[in-house]
Amino acid sequence: MALLEVKGLKTHFFTREGVVRAVDGVTFSVDAGQAIGIVGESGSGKSVTALSIMGLIPRPPARIVDGSVEFQGRDLTTLSDRQLEDVRGREIAMIFQDPMTSLNPTLKIKTQITEVLDRHFGYSKDEAGRRAVELLEEVRIPNASERLEDYPHRFSGGMRQRVMIAIALACNPKLLIADEPTTALDVTVQAEILDLLEELRRDHEMGLILITHDMGVVAEVADEVAVMYAGQIVEHAPTLELFDHPEHPYTEALLGALPQLEGEDVREGRLLSIPGRPPDLIAPPPGCRFAPRCPYAHLGDGCADNEPELRRIRQNHLVRSRHPASERQREAAPV
Amino acid sequence: MSTTDPRDAVVAEPAVPEVVAGAGAHAGAPMARASLWRDAWRRYLQNKGAVIAGAIFLLIVLFCLIWPIISPHDANKVDLTQARQGPSLEHPLGTDAFGRDMLTRVALAGRISLAIGLGATVAILVFGVIYGSTAGFFGGRLDNIQMRLLDALYGLPYLPFAIILLAIIGTINMWTMILALSIASWFTAARIVRGQIITLKQNDYVRAAQALGARWYRILSRHLLPNTLGVLIIAMFLELPGVILGEAFLGFIGLGISPPDASLGSMAEEGRSEYRANPHIMFVPGLAIAILVLCANFIADGMRDALDPRTRETKEG
Amino acid sequence: MTAFIIRRILWTIPVLLLVIFLTFVMMKQIGGNPFRRTERAVPVAIQQNLERKFNLDEPWYVQYALYVKGVFTFDLGPSLVSRDRTVNDIIREHAPKSLELGFYAMLWAIVLGIPAGVIAALRHNSIFDYGLMFFSNVGFAVPSFLVATLLIYYVALKWGLVPTNGWTTWESKILPSFALGLLPMAYFARLVRGSMLETLQQDYVRTARAKGLRQRRIIVRHVLRNSLIPAITAIAPLLGFIITGSFVIEVIFSIPGIGRYFVTSVSSRDYSVVMGITVLTSVVIVLANLVVDILYGILDPRTREART
Repeated sequence: MALLEVKGLKTHFFTREGVVRAVDGVTFSVDAGQAIGIVGESGSGKSVTALSIMGLIPRPPARIVDGSVEFQGRDLTTLSDRQLEDVRGREIAMIFQDPMTSLNPTLKIKTQITEVLDRHFGYSKDEAGRRAVELLEEVRIPNASERLEDYPHRFSGGMRQRVMIAIALACNPKLLIADEPTTALDVTVQAEILDLLEELRRDHEMGLILITHDMGVVAEVADEVAVMYAGQIVEHAPTLELFDHPEHPYTEALLGALPQLEGEDVREGRLLSIPGRPPDLIAPPPGCRFAPRCPYAHLGDGCADNEPELRRIRQNHLVRSRHPASERQREAAPV
Repeated sequence: MSTTDPRDAVVAEPAVPEVVAGAGAHAGAPMARASLWRDAWRRYLQNKGAVIAGAIFLLIVLFCLIWPIISPHDANKVDLTQARQGPSLEHPLGTDAFGRDMLTRVALAGRISLAIGLGATVAILVFGVIYGSTAGFFGGRLDNIQMRLLDALYGLPYLPFAIILLAIIGTINMWTMILALSIASWFTAARIVRGQIITLKQNDYVRAAQALGARWYRILSRHLLPNTLGVLIIAMFLELPGVILGEAFLGFIGLGISPPDASLGSMAEEGRSEYRANPHIMFVPGLAIAILVLCANFIADGMRDALDPRTRETKEG
Repeated sequence: MTAFIIRRILWTIPVLLLVIFLTFVMMKQIGGNPFRRTERAVPVAIQQNLERKFNLDEPWYVQYALYVKGVFTFDLGPSLVSRDRTVNDIIREHAPKSLELGFYAMLWAIVLGIPAGVIAALRHNSIFDYGLMFFSNVGFAVPSFLVATLLIYYVALKWGLVPTNGWTTWESKILPSFALGLLPMAYFARLVRGSMLETLQQDYVRTARAKGLRQRRIIVRHVLRNSLIPAITAIAPLLGFIITGSFVIEVIFSIPGIGRYFVTSVSSRDYSVVMGITVLTSVVIVLANLVVDILYGILDPRTREART
């Protein structure tokens, strides 16, 4: 049985201007010890997906309207808040993008770590303190026992993120969701954090969902990649397969937009960017949501009228498009 | 005022960036500014509370101006046979202890209170602009000294200070009340103006004007001050409640306008001794004060939102 | 830290001197009558007392210095109306009741206002929330004498729950302190609500939820503490309001405090009492602001740097 199975998840935001269909039918699964990366631009729905899994979406405007999130067989969407509180931090943990603001500036690091241990395991002060030191050492923070007494502002950005990771690991969760964990950090620090995540994942045999807009990050860490666009998954494949044989026009464009400094595909010219903007999620286009920006949409096949299904184009490779790359050889050359 | 002075060729941009720039230098400034106000006006109209408050306020002002002229009653005529009556057809708000019609009196008193409110607010703005713009514009040591002085003045509690001022001035009439209340509360306005000037000073068009040799008073009057207008208007409606309530307080404790003139505050004081048996004598001016202040608060909020929508409270989540 | 405290104290001194200077100028008007509504001859005996007291024949700066000394040694001069009482006597007799009134008013404000703000924030956009915002808007606009008389009219007169005036039994103390505390209550509630709403949006609250912490713990440990600090800053202006507002409340409820005495002194033109109480009130407010400032500096280290 998979560790986590998300099926047909739909999370909508009910605002004064209309219903924003932020996540509109997302399906994927994560096995124990597996790392899956979710990639997409801002507004693609990747963060909302993560928050929906944890039940952390802001409930007045937002609501999970359809689908299920099965964690070890239990559907999290049917749990009450109190039940979810038992799962969060203990079975599934999450770290966020901005470590500067994600830690409470008025509480010591020690408190912020021990409160998780106290909450889920009822550790005594001493036990919790000792475990906190162990955790800080595990995330490679020097002088752990002294640093415990510090406040967050005494740590650098990278260190703060390590602290966040330590907090997340405190209860040995089975699944870790990392929402853009390196976006707010310096490039040099990014690599360290990713290495750390990778190592910890292997050591603890944790499942990992890594959310990012950066294809490079995903290449490093993930076993599988799901590409999201406008609230839907448009392509899903093992990492190497995706990079070597991307199928969806959007994925191709994303990869084409990567700077390539060496290797066979060294590009001499400018970086390609994808013209146009993501669709309005209150009234998404009736057909394929990528059609307005897709270089192949003009070929007919009803791209603008019917939404393409997510289909299996090869083993392990799903794509939501009428013009995936491998079927395109036979068609006329694109614009 | 037409001008061929090249120093005026520098266009002052309005504070809000979303305004369309005009074609030529001179065409640009007034047109840009006009559409800024039109946008703000449109946003203001969307705020239902502010619109209603504005309408009520306007109605009250009109009432206070017109009613005493057309009223069948003389506000100052004493007629003890009619004293202390409750609301009736002839006296919609009743009469006071001296038999004077309350409706007419409150309109007259409203005139005075509004005049005090307006006068004091304008005076506050004048003091604030003079003090704040010099501090903000020249900066440096002058600013430092001015701010320290302001800090000391800030420590003076508003109403006791007003009382002291009234005592120093001697008489208490509409003008001295305006003077006392404004002197006791111009400090916040000065701070606001100074802050705004400092922010605007950073803009390139100011440096450009300076580079062209424009004198400080020109820069201030043509470029900086007009752009503080929005902030000033908001400040005006924010100070108004303080002035009206201040006048009410002073009037109520006996330091109000000398009779026969009456302000809402002094009317309330007259009703003080009557409130047990005839509460309406004090309620009427009290209610008038409350409504005016409430409207002013809503109007100020509406204006603040209209001129700077970013400060609006988010409603989601 | 101590540097901060010393700096704040030093800054208060010019303010106090300014206050005293202004009241001194006010006093110099004694020649005629400060409020010149009616020309009232001062009884000869008192006039002589005054002249001796205020050394009116000395040059003005000597007078000023002596007056300052008088203030600092708590010697505020004789009453002009009550022949054998000094201003000090009057203050000593009536001030305690005003202090009590003010204290209870602040208590009402904190005990009702802060929880109301917390609840409104937790039940954002509910009826309670809207009701509170409406109530606070009204509370800021309505002059305190109106509120007070309305309360007396209904609660005391019509329903007879409490006495209508005086400051004797504990029942008589409820209504006036509540009336005085209404505006501060609305102020606290609004402030706390806004501050909490803002804190609830913070990322670290989201982190706390992601950790699976119980809602109560999140509120108490993470949200409340950070939200309440701004409420402390509110105490300073509110103290000023409570002190001046007590004048009105004491008049309406016939409470024999210095506020009411002030008002009657205005009518009876006992201007040395008027001056004395004005000076006292100003000084108390200034000192109260100082204390609150220092307190805030202790609680939130960031504000220490903010002051020039």
